[in-house]
Amino acid sequence: MKKRILAALLTVVMTTALVTGCTSTETGTTDNGTTTEDAAFNPDEEDGIEIGELRSELGAIPAVEGSVKLGAVAKAFENEYWRTLKEGYGVFQEKLQAQGYDVTIDVTSAQGEGDEQGQLSVVKDMINKKYNALMLSPISDGNLVPGVEDAKKAGIPVVNVNDGLIANADVFVGPKAIQNGELAAEWIAEKLGGKGQVAIVIGMPKAFAARQRTAGFEQYMEANAKDIEIVAKQNADWDRSKAKDLADTWIKQYPDLKAIFCNNDTMALGVVEAVNASGKDILVVGVDGIGEAYDSIRSGGMDATIDSFPLYKAQIAGEVTLRLMGGQEVPRVIWTPQALIDSTNVDQAAEEIIGWEEATFE
Amino acid sequence: MKNIWKRFSRELGIIIALILLMAIFGIIEPLYLTPTNLMDIVDQTVINGLLAVGITLVIITGGIDLTVGSTMAIVIVAIGKLLVSGLHPWAAVLLGILFGFVLGALNGFLIAKMHLQPFIATMGMMSVYRGIAYLVTGGWPVLNIPQSFRTMMDGDILGSVPSSVIILLIVSAVGYVLLKHTKFGTYLYSMGSNEEATRLSGVNVDYNKIMAYGLCGVATALAGMVMLAKLGTGEPAAGQGYELNAIAAAAVGGTSLSGGKGSIFGTFFGAILLQALKIGLVVCGVDTFWQYIATGVIIIAAVYLDIIQGQIKNWKLKRQ
Repeated sequence: MKKRILAALLTVVMTTALVTGCTSTETGTTDNGTTTEDAAFNPDEEDGIEIGELRSELGAIPAVEGSVKLGAVAKAFENEYWRTLKEGYGVFQEKLQAQGYDVTIDVTSAQGEGDEQGQLSVVKDMINKKYNALMLSPISDGNLVPGVEDAKKAGIPVVNVNDGLIANADVFVGPKAIQNGELAAEWIAEKLGGKGQVAIVIGMPKAFAARQRTAGFEQYMEANAKDIEIVAKQNADWDRSKAKDLADTWIKQYPDLKAIFCNNDTMALGVVEAVNASGKDILVVGVDGIGEAYDSIRSGGMDATIDSFPLYKAQIAGEVTLRLMGGQEVPRVIWTPQALIDSTNVDQAAEEIIGWEEATFE
Repeated sequence: MKNIWKRFSRELGIIIALILLMAIFGIIEPLYLTPTNLMDIVDQTVINGLLAVGITLVIITGGIDLTVGSTMAIVIVAIGKLLVSGLHPWAAVLLGILFGFVLGALNGFLIAKMHLQPFIATMGMMSVYRGIAYLVTGGWPVLNIPQSFRTMMDGDILGSVPSSVIILLIVSAVGYVLLKHTKFGTYLYSMGSNEEATRLSGVNVDYNKIMAYGLCGVATALAGMVMLAKLGTGEPAAGQGYELNAIAAAAVGGTSLSGGKGSIFGTFFGAILLQALKIGLVVCGVDTFWQYIATGVIIIAAVYLDIIQGQIKNWKLKRQ
């Protein structure tokens, strides 16, 4: 009997772990919108500036002297977003070397998005090896805080690269997450003529990006399109299959559903399968701008995505880091470009869409 | 009649729980009980149901298989790649099943022959299998799965019943027969109750254990292929955390994690119950944060109900 109760208890513990999100390690400190002291930093509410403004304010990037080693730590390369960010760091390194600078950027990641402790070990190792500056994308709002404290003691500048927020970093570089949802809302409101039922598939609700994207979407509709009714809002854990299941249910429950906004592209691609199967004409909008989403937009599956251009984000992060090292006064938050991609601009070059200009060096 | 009641008393408990749950959601939101929504519940149970049936065989032996999510991912990307390169859908399914069996049997080998504890062995292999899925694809999804395969695994047959549902029913039936009407099934229960005694009575415990894990792999592979068909894309990240859903379904269905006790019938309805709950919460528009709590409470309640049932039974036996 005892054994059975024990077994039952084990089940309960495991399943509770499951239902509270088995990857609850991902974001650690903040849950449910309640903020702890460390996580109180919200870049969306800071007075950030865009990279163009920053350049015109500060001028050229200060010259790099001697041999410089920059360390970048991403979340997990399983995810296309982080692979593209890594590529962006590589592009920036080449540009620096083309300038004749002796700069290397080492890009590593944690072992999966649940490996908070491992990511901290990587950062500490970089501090011990005396990297000149760090560009960090933490798994949770809290897991790299001790590493950043050590870096500060060692006098190493720290740039926090979207997403995951580090309260004690010097600079945050990333897109305005709330604007992300606003862009999607604006586009959907326009397509629907300001009227109709829409639904939202959220990622894990504990994630900052998920909360802000959803909030941006809701606030925009509230303020600008009162006749658009958000009839449903549910979590699908960033999982394609779970998002499809949700959409399947909604499409039957709300026969007049006109649009579904998803917190990322992977879920949007699942929703597209449900929409196609139903034969209905429902707009599907995602976030991230992954390659598969672009293909889906081209072939008439997804209708739009919000791309935050990680390839360029990495280069901006690198640039900001060099400015910081060169002693320039850099604001706390730098916004990186993001844009809505739909069938009208899906084949346009990213440089054109965001008006990208190459940085100038001293 | 009395015999039937006795034989299925445990299983009837979960069916009553399921009916109660559905009645409650039906009262809150009448749309919940429409045929299309009920069909949705069954349809969306398929993946977790297949995993749960497989894992029930393993849990009955006193083991556990944490690799199911990762095994699914390997099958999804490997079969996805083969399909895209032109392999015939039927050949792909057979190969997928074989693949699942080999991956499962490998777990069984580690446990039976190398004497690793099931939890540890499969926890390690969970990581290995996931890594292989990422390595094979470089992290990229496998796109454009042929329509012929998708129709075969998830197209409507028999009116509006998807073939995936038929697959779940067939696998459940096979599992049921294996457990209740074959020597193999009897050995699994016996191993779960007392492995040493089973071994001493001349049963080839190692072989039966490896077979149990292998069959769990087969069910898992089928779940993976259904997912591949449903989504039309094979992601190496697919199925993360699904092992816990499968274990939950088995536990809710009355399978004991200490082994020796459980049934496919219970697991099947356990999986349906969890999905009915999930869809009920969605249809009623329950806030996401509350959904976590509701799901957890239902699981605890279901398992506790099972414990109480056992106690009542013991008490009655004693009184006799």
